[in-house]
Parts: sequence; structure tokens; C-alpha cells
Amino acid sequence: MAFNYDSYLRLEKMPTLWCWGCGDGVILKSFIRAVDKLGWSKDDVCVVSGIGCSGRFSSYVDFNTVHTTHGRTIAFATGIKLANPDKHVVCVAGDGDALAIGGNHTIHGCRRNIDITLIVIQNFIYGLTNSQTSPTTPQGMWTVSQKAGNIDPTFDGCKLAIAAGASFVGRETVTAPKKLEKLLVDAMEHKGFSYVEALSNCHINLGRKNKMANAMENLDWIDSITVSKAKYDKLSPEEQLNLLPTGILKQDATAKEYCEMYQEIRDVHQGKRGKITQDDFAKKI
Amino acid sequence: MAVMKAPENTPVWVNTARCKACDICVDVCPAGVLSMKADAGSTLGAIIDVVAPDSCIGCNECELSCPDFAIYVADKKEFKFAKLTDNAKARREAIINNDFRLPADYKEAN
Repeated sequence: MAFNYDSYLRLEKMPTLWCWGCGDGVILKSFIRAVDKLGWSKDDVCVVSGIGCSGRFSSYVDFNTVHTTHGRTIAFATGIKLANPDKHVVCVAGDGDALAIGGNHTIHGCRRNIDITLIVIQNFIYGLTNSQTSPTTPQGMWTVSQKAGNIDPTFDGCKLAIAAGASFVGRETVTAPKKLEKLLVDAMEHKGFSYVEALSNCHINLGRKNKMANAMENLDWIDSITVSKAKYDKLSPEEQLNLLPTGILKQDATAKEYCEMYQEIRDVHQGKRGKITQDDFAKKI
Repeated sequence: MAVMKAPENTPVWVNTARCKACDICVDVCPAGVLSMKADAGSTLGAIIDVVAPDSCIGCNECELSCPDFAIYVADKKEFKFAKLTDNAKARREAIINNDFRLPADYKEAN
């Protein structure tokens, strides 16, 4: 007896188009196990992906799937969720898709706290287009657009999501698939916007010119820059500087969910309840 | 839970049609069960092979780390796995030091 991934896959699309050793496959497997653990029917899940290597994600899974334009995953997913509040909507985007071209959609998805799970596959580079600097590329790394070393300061997607108002924020790496599965279960169960950053390897386009030419070296590097949140909190600010905390970074069950508020607005217009006032909300200002 | 039936008396089995020879499974296996073997039909010239199924400890690391759905490990309730031995650890070292392939003339110490 072993876990049967095939029942969740579009077998005619196998093997995947991803490079050998690509972390995207591990994230895909963790996601499938998480959905299986939650016991959701395949018809109740909608996977939305954009452009990039991560965009292939929706092609391989046998759920309801949408493959949309670059960076617009959250925009499409918001529409899908508002029209079908009983369905589970999961967005998959790369670091370029979610933080560069789709950065504004990510911010406003977080702000609205709509019940969508956003999985950001963070591989520190624009992989599909061959090694251009992404918002998350560490400073000093070789990229094809900055061959003398990247000078752009690095973006921390989790801090951005926390500041923008996402009610669940977590980070995990592909080197810990079981922990990633658990984090995805927690994120998908959470009512409200869940931002999950999955650190992944791209030894082909990031590693080759940065002394991490095979998957294992790249995974070891990811391990060396991450530390669990409990340990991270005990470090001094200087020690925290080049490390990324993993685990659940924020979980707020009290924040109001957008689909519920939207239903209240519909009730107002249908004459079922009075106007919505500031007193209906926990005052934040 | 979606389950698949295991072949009889097999701790770990592979789907070679999906393997891309990334070496990750060989690297994470603590017991030297897996190794790459030459394969002319594969893009990278190698393919996964189970060289020592008797040493498998059932830790499931290879299945979890395989990005291509190519490896499956039997359930602990259905198969009695071995304990981690020094022989197995030595075999793992030999495989990793020989470019993730089991040396042709490799002999067990004991």
C-alpha cells in the first residue's frame, strides 16, 4: 500500500515538463496529499495558476483548473470565489508572478482577506525565461540581467503579506515535504486569505552560475538560509539578517472574511437587513 | 485516502518511465537502497534502480522527495522493514562518491 497520486493527476500529461529535480514537483505532491488529508472532493477544488514554471501546476492536477494571464491569478480567483463561495479556491504563482507583475493583486487579495489560498513557489529567480533577476533574488547573486551580481534589495513576501492584512501567513521549504503538507492543510482549512511561501530549488537557472549546479547543493543552500520560527525569534537582530523563518508566521481567526461581508451587502440590497455600519466591525483605526 | 496496491513482498518500487535522474532520492536515502544506472534512452543517460531492497528501512524520504511521482514505498503496517546497518551506510557513501551509481565491483564489508 502506498499513497496513490495518480488518482489526482492528469496522467496523459505525465511526465511533467519541469526540469529534473525541480522543487515544483515536491510542492505538487505535498498539495495533493494535503487535499487528500482534508478529504475534499476533486469537484470542490479550483486551482488557478498564472504564467511561469508554476503555471504548469494547474495542467497536471485533475481538479477544476484555470490557467490565466501573467500575474492575474488572484483577480481570477476572487471572481471564482465570489461566484462559488462553497468551493475551495487555490492559487499557485511563482515569485515573479505573485510579487512582481502580480504584486498589486497579491496586496489587495491580502487586504480583502478573501478565502483563497495562495501558494507562492519561491525559487529566487525568473526560471522559465532563463535567469533574470526577480524581486526575491538575493543580493550579490549572478543573474543573466545582472551578470556582475544582483544589486536590487530583496523582497520578503511573507512580511509583505502580513503587512497587507492576510490572516494566515506561512513559509516552508521543499526539503521538508511533510511540514509543507501540514502547513498547506492548515492554510487551506483557514477561513480568510492564506499566503503560503514554498521555498523551491532552481538549480538549472539559479544554481548553475551560483555554485549550486545540482539539486542537492541548491537544497542545502535553502536549508542554510532557513530556520524554524521558534528558533528565529530567539536570535538577535544581527543574526536574523540573512535568515528566513519557516512555519506559521501569522494566524488570525478573528478577521472578517470577504465572502461573508459580500453576502451581508447582498442582504442589505435585498432588504433582509439594515445598512452596514462601522459598529459591525472590530474597529481597527 | 487514495491508496495504490503494493507489489507483493516489495518495500520500494519505481516507475522508470517517469524518472528524470535528478539523483535526489539516492542522496536522501540513508540506507543505500537506491542507485542510478546507465540508460541510453534517458535524457541524462541514467535511470533509477533499486539495488538493495533488503536494506530499506521504510523512512519514506525518497517517495516524499521525488518530484516526478516515480518512487513508491510500502506501508509500515504491511511490510517489515530492515534496521539501519553499518553495511547499508557504507554502501550509501560508496554510491554517492561514485556519481550516484553503485560501483560495478562493490563488495559488502561483512
